Formats: sequence, structure tokens, C-alpha cells
Amino acid sequence: MRSVTFLPSYRKVDVARGSTILDAAQRAGLNINVVCGGQGKCGKCVVFVQSGRTEFDKQKYLRFFSEDELSKGACLACETTVQGDLKVFIPESTIIQEQKILVEGRDKGIEFHPSVRKYYVELQPPTLIDPSPDLTRLLWGVQRSGGPVAEKIYVPLEVMREIPNLLRHSDWKVTGTIALVPGGYRLIDLQENDTSKRIFGAAVDLGSTTVVVYLWDLVSGKVVAVASNYNKQISCGEDILARVNFARKNGLTKLQTLAAESINVALTAASNTAGIDREDIYEVVVAGNTVMTHMLLGIDPAYIIAEPYVPVVQRALSVAASRIGIAGNQNCGLFAFPAVSDFIGGDIIADILSCGMSKREEISLLIDIGTNFEVVLGNKEWMFSCAGAAGPALEGGEVLFGMRANPGAIEKITIDPFTLDPLYTTINNIKPRGITGSGLIDLLAELLSACVIDRTGRINTGIENKRIRTGQHCPEFVVAWASETDIGKDIVITENDIKNLIMSKASIHAACVILMKEAGVSRHDISTIFFAGAFGNYLDKKNATIIGLIPEIELDMIRNIGNGAITGANLALINRRERKALDEIAAKIAYIELNAEPSFMDEYTSSTFLPHTDLTLFPMVQQLLDSCRLRKG
Amino acid sequence: MEYDLNFSWTGTIGHVVIGATRADGGTRKTSYTLGGGTSLPYLDNNPSSPSPLVALEICDNPEFWSPIIRRFCGDLIHSTSDWAKTAETVYGADLVRLYLTSTRVRNFSDIVSVGKTIESVLDATALPLIIEGSNEPGIDSDVFQKCGETGQDERFLLGTAEASRYRSIAAAALAYDHSLIAQSPIDVNLAKQLNILLREIGVQQDHIMIDPYTGALGYGLEYSFSAMERIRFSALKGDTDLAMPMICSAIDSLNIKEVREADPALQDEMAMQWEFYTGIAAAVAGAEIICVRHPKTVRMLKNAFADMKNNAGFSGVK
Repeated sequence: MRSVTFLPSYRKVDVARGSTILDAAQRAGLNINVVCGGQGKCGKCVVFVQSGRTEFDKQKYLRFFSEDELSKGACLACETTVQGDLKVFIPESTIIQEQKILVEGRDKGIEFHPSVRKYYVELQPPTLIDPSPDLTRLLWGVQRSGGPVAEKIYVPLEVMREIPNLLRHSDWKVTGTIALVPGGYRLIDLQENDTSKRIFGAAVDLGSTTVVVYLWDLVSGKVVAVASNYNKQISCGEDILARVNFARKNGLTKLQTLAAESINVALTAASNTAGIDREDIYEVVVAGNTVMTHMLLGIDPAYIIAEPYVPVVQRALSVAASRIGIAGNQNCGLFAFPAVSDFIGGDIIADILSCGMSKREEISLLIDIGTNFEVVLGNKEWMFSCAGAAGPALEGGEVLFGMRANPGAIEKITIDPFTLDPLYTTINNIKPRGITGSGLIDLLAELLSACVIDRTGRINTGIENKRIRTGQHCPEFVVAWASETDIGKDIVITENDIKNLIMSKASIHAACVILMKEAGVSRHDISTIFFAGAFGNYLDKKNATIIGLIPEIELDMIRNIGNGAITGANLALINRRERKALDEIAAKIAYIELNAEPSFMDEYTSSTFLPHTDLTLFPMVQQLLDSCRLRKG
Repeated sequence: MEYDLNFSWTGTIGHVVIGATRADGGTRKTSYTLGGGTSLPYLDNNPSSPSPLVALEICDNPEFWSPIIRRFCGDLIHSTSDWAKTAETVYGADLVRLYLTSTRVRNFSDIVSVGKTIESVLDATALPLIIEGSNEPGIDSDVFQKCGETGQDERFLLGTAEASRYRSIAAAALAYDHSLIAQSPIDVNLAKQLNILLREIGVQQDHIMIDPYTGALGYGLEYSFSAMERIRFSALKGDTDLAMPMICSAIDSLNIKEVREADPALQDEMAMQWEFYTGIAAAVAGAEIICVRHPKTVRMLKNAFADMKNNAGFSGVK
């Protein structure tokens, strides 16, 4: 065994010789940024070996480091093996930090009608004259207290076994918990005395990056706490594909456990905040994408990611939470949202529920941008959906100074059209460390308006301005000088970054167009565009339109619904009628496989232009850019 | 089988003028006005459509040229001016397309020689010229500036603008009133994008010819043909950003395996046939200028175009 000490935290861990530094860090409980899942592709897991023997192919990964960094022992944690006892310094940028996670969904007046309820009953003890059995007595009591009809309540054997002693021990004063499950009503728990005020439920957004939990008091119908944290699966790979591949290699158990643990951490945090006992959580509703839901339930997701992309299950599932390691009451139920396809999962169904598009006459377009993007077009009669990889550019991946929405990330930018000096704001208002997705979209729109880039995203190097220069590989624009940053380097956006961004936005726009064509509607027929996902909440609607990320419609008709997944999960938790509609919504949605769509490439290519090759689709943007040009002369 | 040839097209292909006669202030014996079409060529109901022009491609450093052409032309290739003259007088070309291959050597800096070469070709032939400048971004600006300046008042067609480098050539075209070739890699959207980029930096529609890039027969020609059809259909349906005449070059033909590795006795014939059929396909798709390198292909194409116009089939093919 070799010991590895991580600085600056001085965490120490023993690992077998030949393990990677990444393994060691994970075992030491350090969350290392591994965008590519530890394949040596992203260069984000930079660490500095201060002493000790390692094996690392410097030549192979030269492109990720500066000379200065190399001289300080820089290497990639995922590609460096431990040979001797080590001291390893992990820079701040390599550690995954607390993110600006979106916890507010759009709350609206939701009718309160939960599917799990408690009934306190005081029963008459049996006598020779009234010798009806314990169960009958109990269920009649429940019915008299406003519960469901006694004959319709199913009682599982485990609870049945508890009944005789519990009734007598409590002097015939008990609280029964009745849940409405797919099979009908079910007595899931019986407690002594009156505990009817202590019943809570949790709505969970199980994202591939973050987990958000809303804890509800199921008597008062109020939110008592909100908590969120990282999806711990990130240590097994940043994107879904990397994680499924991890599961293929190492088995599903670790990912299943990590998913459950991630939820548990948030549940515990929320319970502590609210000052309640986790034992009093009787229901958990989870909205997650198809792969996440499969993983949480321990269902092999391997066949989802390969052709022909078939999920194991699409319908909503109700299971005992304890069976998948979710901490709540031992009889807590878990409801998992249904899915449509491999990539249109429960999170999107939750978005649909939350924006209400499945109840509207008018046509809406829903776009959820996260690690992947999903698009749904339709109304109460019909819906089409598709999904694709937007590439990580819009989340800050594959962009030199791109970063997640961590402190120090530039999230809003404007550029003076004459001096080209940017004005930006960062998360937490600290010195900038990088640029987040919304900042990148602003940047693209502003650079275009200022004629720094042309419509293909190429930087006009003919402009005389010190911010425009040719970098190591291609032209770049300096967003922040080293002296104003927190990282001691100029923060730039390169022509390659811009190309990656354009490719990302092109695939999203092309997907919108494919659905519109499939449905035979034009942009004029779309009444509202709903933006969902963490990214959507900070997105500048105008700039998103200028770069052609979305079809042009009235800016007023673009709505950020924020985290639609959690709002949808909340709705399903506290209103069982909404939940009942979910399978129906899922069944109504037709899924268009973009890979099988012959016109996709064509739509994509025409979208790889700012805003689009067909300028007539963007009259407002066209006018705006014309006036920008006019102003510049 | 009867086809309905009325497509209710509303668009017209814009005009591009190449070459300036003395009356226009230049020295060319003729000037060509390309474009103006409202339908596809060679349709039964469109007998008046003009035949495409045929350009012979030559260069000023034959090291970069196909050995087939070097062998066929012999010593001629060592004098750019003689080569240009022969293109007009012997080979019967409508245009000469001069590639400044001399600029393709490493660290090229002799910009003055570029001007001299162009002057010598202007003196040697009275045909309108297509000038292909550098293909090295580092010297683009100087080379195109020199091309533009030397050909002032001659209305050159300058090549070649691409989405990744169009500013230098556009600047030269704008400054000296030349037209330019806008080349995109076999895609209607990319062709349109480049035209928009050019328009936005001030190049007028009547100074742009579209080069959709022509794959050789058996090596992507069907893609080119389809891209050209889509470009032309879009234009005829009213998309002005694609309503420019097209120029196609069959030059890939000389590099393909069938021609390169042909029996030496048959190699010229293979080269000609390959260029010929590629050129014919491009013409049918609507190209206004066809460029070839084998001198004998020039006549073959011209005869074929004349025959096609008269509905007589290809008498030019042996």
C-alpha cells in the first residue's frame, strides 16, 4: 500500500500501488472534476504532485498544461498512477464546488390532495356482543374518520401481523397511514396513539448533476424545507454516457447506492432544517431522467444508450423506498415519474406538468437545456418530443474558460460596441474564474452585435483592438485581463470555443425545427416558449434569440420555468390527480429520434450560422443587427 | 413520358460580368454577362438558355500541375503567357483561369512577380481572366491586393473566397471592381452562408459566382450535382442569397485513381473523358462556367454544349 496525502486539506488515504490519483482522491472523499469520466480527455482533473513517485505520460497530455504548470508537477489525476508515497496538491479549480443550484421551481396555487394520509382512530374494544375482527374494526374506524371505504383498503401481511398487539397495547388508539398506490388503497403503517400530524413527503429532482429536495408537510400542505446537493455519481463520470459505461465495467451497485445516498443527504439536510424525523417521511416522488431513474431503481441502463435505445420501463413506478435504500419511514413509498424514451425522461414529464402545456389549447415549445437538451412541442391534443446532445459547451465544457455555475463564473456580459470593453457580473460577485453557459450566450450575442465575430463565429482579426489577438492555436477575444481575474490568467474566448457553442446552439435549434416541421407548425403558431433547467433560469431571452438558440417569437412569450422537474415533482407529490395524468401525458408524446431523421443534418447546418442561414426566420434579430452595423458605420 | 416543365418559378439568376472590353475601359476582346436564367438549361421549353462557358486552367509554376497535362502540353507550360495564348488560339477556351501556383512555395514573398505574371497573361491573351490568388492566409492580403491592382479595369473573376478566409479577397474585389468566386464544400446552406457573409462586408450580389465544389465523377459528383440543384432551385424560388451564377471545376478528375493509374497509352483519353462527363453533369445542373485542365476537353465540351442545344446528343464524344 502507498499513502497519498492531499493538500491543502491534508487528507490522507492508503491505496494500492498502481491506483490512479483520481481513485485515491475519491477514496479520500474529495470530489474531483472529471468531465470526461476519467478518460484523460477533458484535462479538468489537474493536480500537482509535490513529492513522491508517479507514472504519467507527460508528452501525451502536453496540450493541457503550461510550461509553468509542468515545472510544478502538474498531471492529470485520472491518468497518473501512484507508485510511491505521495503528496498531491489539488488546486481549487479541480475540486467540484458548491454550485449555484436552482431550487426554486415556479410555485403556483396547487390543489392539495396528497396520496398518502394518516387517520387517527379511537376504537371500541371488542366484546362478546361486538366480536368483529381487529382488522374490520380498524378499517371501519378509518372509514368513519374520513378515510377510504374499509373493503377497499388492502393490508399487507407485515402490517397485519402488527395489528393485534398494537391495538391492545395502545388502548385502541392508533394512527393508520393509508397510501393510494396503483393497486388501490393500502394500509402502509400503523402507529400507537395520535401521530396524525407527523406525516411528510419529499419531492425530488434527481438530476445527473444535482439533486434537489422539497420537503412537504402533508397535513398543512406547506413546504417545510428545501435542500440540494451534488449527485454523488459525478465521481463516476460527469455525463450519463460515462456513468453507464462505468456501470458496465464496474457493475451498477455503486451507481445505485450513490444515487440513493445523494437523495438521502438532501433528505437529511431538509429534515434537519425542518426539525423533523426522517421516519415521518411517508412518500418520496422522484423526477429524474430515464437513465437516472433506471439507476436509482437498480435497473440496468446499459441498453438505453446503444442502438436502438430502448429503456427497460416507461411507465410510472411505485416501489418501497427502503428497497432502494432511500431513508424515510420503513414503509415509505417511492413514486418514480414515467418516461417517454431513452432521453425524454421523468424530468421532462415533470417540466410538462409544471408548465401546463399538456392542458393548453395553444401550442407551446418546451426546451430543457442541461447536460443534454430535450425539446417538446404540442398542446393538450398532441405532443412531439426529441432530445440530443447539445455538447457540454453551453454548460461550460469544451470551452477553454468555460465553467459550471460556481462562484466566480461570469454569468452576464455586455460589450461596449466601440471600445469592446466588456462589463460582466460573476456569481457571488467575486473576481472572475471563468464563464458559465449564460455568460457564453451573452458573449456570443454581444460579439456578434459588435461585429467582432461574423455570422459563422469567426473573429475579425483585422480589427485593431488589444482584446483581439491570435492565441496559441486560433484567434481569441480577451474577456478579462489576468490582473482582474482570480486565476492569474487572461480569460479569453477562442474561435474554437465559439465554434463549439455554435454547434451546440445549432443542434438545439435544429431539433426545434424538426419538431415544428413534424407537427406542421411555423414559429408564428407557437404561443409560448418555456425554458426549463438550471441553465434556463439565468438565460437572457434576447441573447438566446439573437444567436438563434431558439426560434424567434415575441420575447414576452418566452418564459423561464426554472427547475421544472422539481415543480413537477412537487405537483405530483401533493396532488394525486396530477400524478394520475402522468402516464397519460407520457403515452401521448411521440418521440422523434433525431439520428433517424434524414433532414436533421440539413437543419443543423443551416443553424450553424448566427442566428440562422434563413434570415427571414429571425426578422427582429436581423433588424437589430442591421441597426448595430449602422451604428458602427 | 411527358413532364410538366412549368415550375412556377419566380426568381431570376443575377448577372455577373467578367472581362472588360476597350469600350468598358479594359483591354479584353469580349466581356461575358453570366446568369439571367429563369429556369434550368437544356429543358425543352427553355431553348434559348445560353451554353456554359469553358475555361482552361493554367498556372505559373507547373510543379503543382498534373503530370498528364505537363506531358500533353510539353514545353508550353514553362511559359505562362504562351500557355494562355494557346488556350485562346489553339484550344478554343472562352476564358483562361490562371492559378498563381508560384505563391504556394514556403515563405513566398515576391509579390512583384505576381503582378508581372498577370500582366504577361493579359498581354498574351485577349480573353477575360479568372485569377486564382494565393491559398495561404498569411500572404492572402498582399497577393489579392496585387491581383486586384494589376487587373484594374479588366473585371477579373478572383478566386477563391471560403467561409474561413474571405476578407482579403473581398477587399481586393471591392477596391478594384472585380468579381469573386465563393466556394463552399458541397452544401446549399454553407453556400448561402458565405454569400451572406460577403454581402455583409459589401460585396454586391452581381460580383459573386458560386463554386459549389465539384467532386469528380464517381468521387462525389452526385453530391455536387444535388447541391447545385438545390442552390439553383432555391434561387429560382426567390432566394436572392443564392441567385448567383455558378462556376464548376472538374479538376479533381485528374487526381483520381482511374486516371492517375491508367495505361499510359490511354491516360489522356481517360483524363478527357473524366473531365468531360463531370463538366457535362455540372452544365446540366446549371453551371455557367466549366473549368477543365486538359486542353482537349475544352473542344469536347464546347461541341457537346452546341449539340445539346440543338437536341442532337453528344457528337463530340468519340
